[in-house]
Amino acid sequence: MKTKRRIADPFDALGNQYRRDIVELLARKPRSVQEIADHLPISRPAVSRHLSVLNRAGLVSDEQIGARRLYRLDEPGAEAARRYLAQVWGNVGVRFKIFAENTKPRKR
Amino acid sequence: MIEPLRISFEVACSPDHAFETWTERATAWWPPEHTVSHQRGAEIVFEPGTGGRIYERTPQGEEIEWGEIMRWDPPRVLSYRWHIATDPANATQVEIVFRELPDSKTRVDIEHGGWDRLGEMGQAWRDANHAGWDGVLPSYSQAARS
Repeated sequence: MKTKRRIADPFDALGNQYRRDIVELLARKPRSVQEIADHLPISRPAVSRHLSVLNRAGLVSDEQIGARRLYRLDEPGAEAARRYLAQVWGNVGVRFKIFAENTKPRKR
Repeated sequence: MIEPLRISFEVACSPDHAFETWTERATAWWPPEHTVSHQRGAEIVFEPGTGGRIYERTPQGEEIEWGEIMRWDPPRVLSYRWHIATDPANATQVEIVFRELPDSKTRVDIEHGGWDRLGEMGQAWRDANHAGWDGVLPSYSQAARS
């Protein structure tokens, strides 16, 4: 995970649902591969592959702490995560608005 | 304190209908890709009233907790603890205020806060706070229209 030579596009990196999930998980706190896998319906090797993509995109870095290797969002990655969350709310808001404006109240 | 994320928009319906749509029909409009199970047919439930659970029920009947309602004040205010895809200990808070406007419209103000307790990501969130929110909705509205 040290090399960052082959840079992946952060936008592409976030084009995968599990990688977005991982970014959301890491936005809360640094976690190990196992801790990430515990929250997702995918295997540890799959989590590692996604982390590798996120690392090449400059979104995630890792650090050895004692016996544990923890993954965390890079600073720009944290911004990306925040932007992503803003988009989630935007998406939620628009879908809510369209639905509310095109449905009739049930009662009365 | 870390500034909450804030987003506001107008919707062409009454506050009653807006509140009801948010709490009773989320299954119909919540983006399916932002559920935990990512399954079509997952149902989203807001149990009415303070202390009510918010959860996702998968087609297999599994219930996945998303949060708890802290303030249930229809049709004006809804707030809840929010810990979708994370530990309840890391919950943030969402508050939604519906305000009646002239011409049968409603202003919806969403505030997503409580980031301070999340600790070390705080500074990055604070630094990035001013980016991202402005203009999110208009661009999505345009995408939805085109």
